[in-house]
Amino acid sequence: MKDKTTKRILAFFLLISVILFAVAVQAARNIKQSSDSSDWVNHTHATILEIDALRTALSVAEASARSYSWSNNAHDLTTSKKALSDIGEHLSITQALTRYDSNKAEEVSDIEALVNQRISSLRNILTTTAKGKAAAARGLSNRDAGNEVSIDIQRRLKKLKDRELAQLTERDIESYLQAQKTRWIIWAGVTLNVLLLAVVGWLIKHDINTRRQAAAALQAANEQLEIRVKERTAELADANQQLSMDNLEQQWTNQTLEHQLRYNQRIVDSISDLVFVLTKTSNISRMNPAVLHHCGWETTDLINQPLAKVVELDDDTNNPSNGSLKLAMKEGHDLRDQKANLKNKQGHQTPVMLSMFPLRDQNKIVGGVVTIQTT
Amino acid sequence: MKKHILILDDEANIRDLLGQFLSNSGYQVTPVATASEAFKTIQNQSPDLVISDLQLEDSDGLEMIDQLKKESPGTPVILLTGVLFDPEVVENVLSKHVDSYLEKTSSLTKIRETVESLLAQS
Repeated sequence: MKDKTTKRILAFFLLISVILFAVAVQAARNIKQSSDSSDWVNHTHATILEIDALRTALSVAEASARSYSWSNNAHDLTTSKKALSDIGEHLSITQALTRYDSNKAEEVSDIEALVNQRISSLRNILTTTAKGKAAAARGLSNRDAGNEVSIDIQRRLKKLKDRELAQLTERDIESYLQAQKTRWIIWAGVTLNVLLLAVVGWLIKHDINTRRQAAAALQAANEQLEIRVKERTAELADANQQLSMDNLEQQWTNQTLEHQLRYNQRIVDSISDLVFVLTKTSNISRMNPAVLHHCGWETTDLINQPLAKVVELDDDTNNPSNGSLKLAMKEGHDLRDQKANLKNKQGHQTPVMLSMFPLRDQNKIVGGVVTIQTT
Repeated sequence: MKKHILILDDEANIRDLLGQFLSNSGYQVTPVATASEAFKTIQNQSPDLVISDLQLEDSDGLEMIDQLKKESPGTPVILLTGVLFDPEVVENVLSKHVDSYLEKTSSLTKIRETVESLLAQS
């Protein structure tokens, strides 16, 4: 997806394109108008020239016809005829030039009627003169001087010419204004486009700066992140190392504890005296191998059984079933070198010496240890 | 350069755990199981410190330590044992043979601190 700045730049370029297109259209339209105007000016000038030529030819024809009537000179006749011929030609051209303007065409048509009337009068003078009727011809010529029709033709032609000139002037002004307008439009379009291009340039520069700042910020953030990752990695490595060390420490504790227990167990097992470990209720919880060796009992025969099953104190009639031993353990004092009888699995009794030492855990009696010496 | 520590103990677990801990702590460690291996290492590599058990398969610990002290008098020796002695025994007997005495129930951290202390003194 395009970002905001790119969209703005594209919008500006679109606007510039639209303005350029509008200016181009306006310029093309003006060129066409100029071309049309030029054609029209040429056409108008041609019309004016033809009107002038028509007026001149008419004047020449009139003058040469009058002159011929007086001089009977062939040159005047020729001049007059040529002028009459020119009148027809210029009139036809004028008609052709004004045919698309109904008012002018009507005016020219009226002039044509008058001109034809005038040509007829002049031809009459020429014909009369050519027939040798000099007096009649001069009479006609005299009457023709100051002819109303001729004056009317000249007046109408002058009016037509003045109108053409007025239109020409009007078109010139209009053309000038159009050219000015086009010039202003082009300048305004170019200026606006230059301003828009400047804005686009500013936008691009601003965008580049923004992107640079964003890139710099991103780089800084990445560097910061990298530092944090390194720090975190180091912390994790330290934590992992510590965990590993703690784990080793735990394994070490277990190992040495086990070692110590085995060592202590070996000490107990190596004693030749019989050793019993009692619960608080004087039941057997552990014993050393010497017990099994001397009495023939199995471990399962004695575990959780009363000590009296294996050994009983002598002279304990008041406290049967090792009552004295239990009392000593309860009161927490030793019982040393007491005579007792050891019973093996077959029921045979052997006199022995018994000692009992209470077992304490945090000043609390939790059981006792009985050692038996065989004699 | 890493300090070199020789560990002498007939129990593989003890050698491995202590060796790994000291190795992680930045020491070069050579674990051996017998006194004869220990002497070879001492002759060939001259360790900076020796940690020895008391009960060995092929030698009495204290005799071995005395011999080691003769061969390399400047090398500190830590006696690391599971045998529990009375403080008097430690004070009057063991201290004459070794630079430090530690029970195996001591923590690894305590052992490392003792190693650091002895190496700093030597």
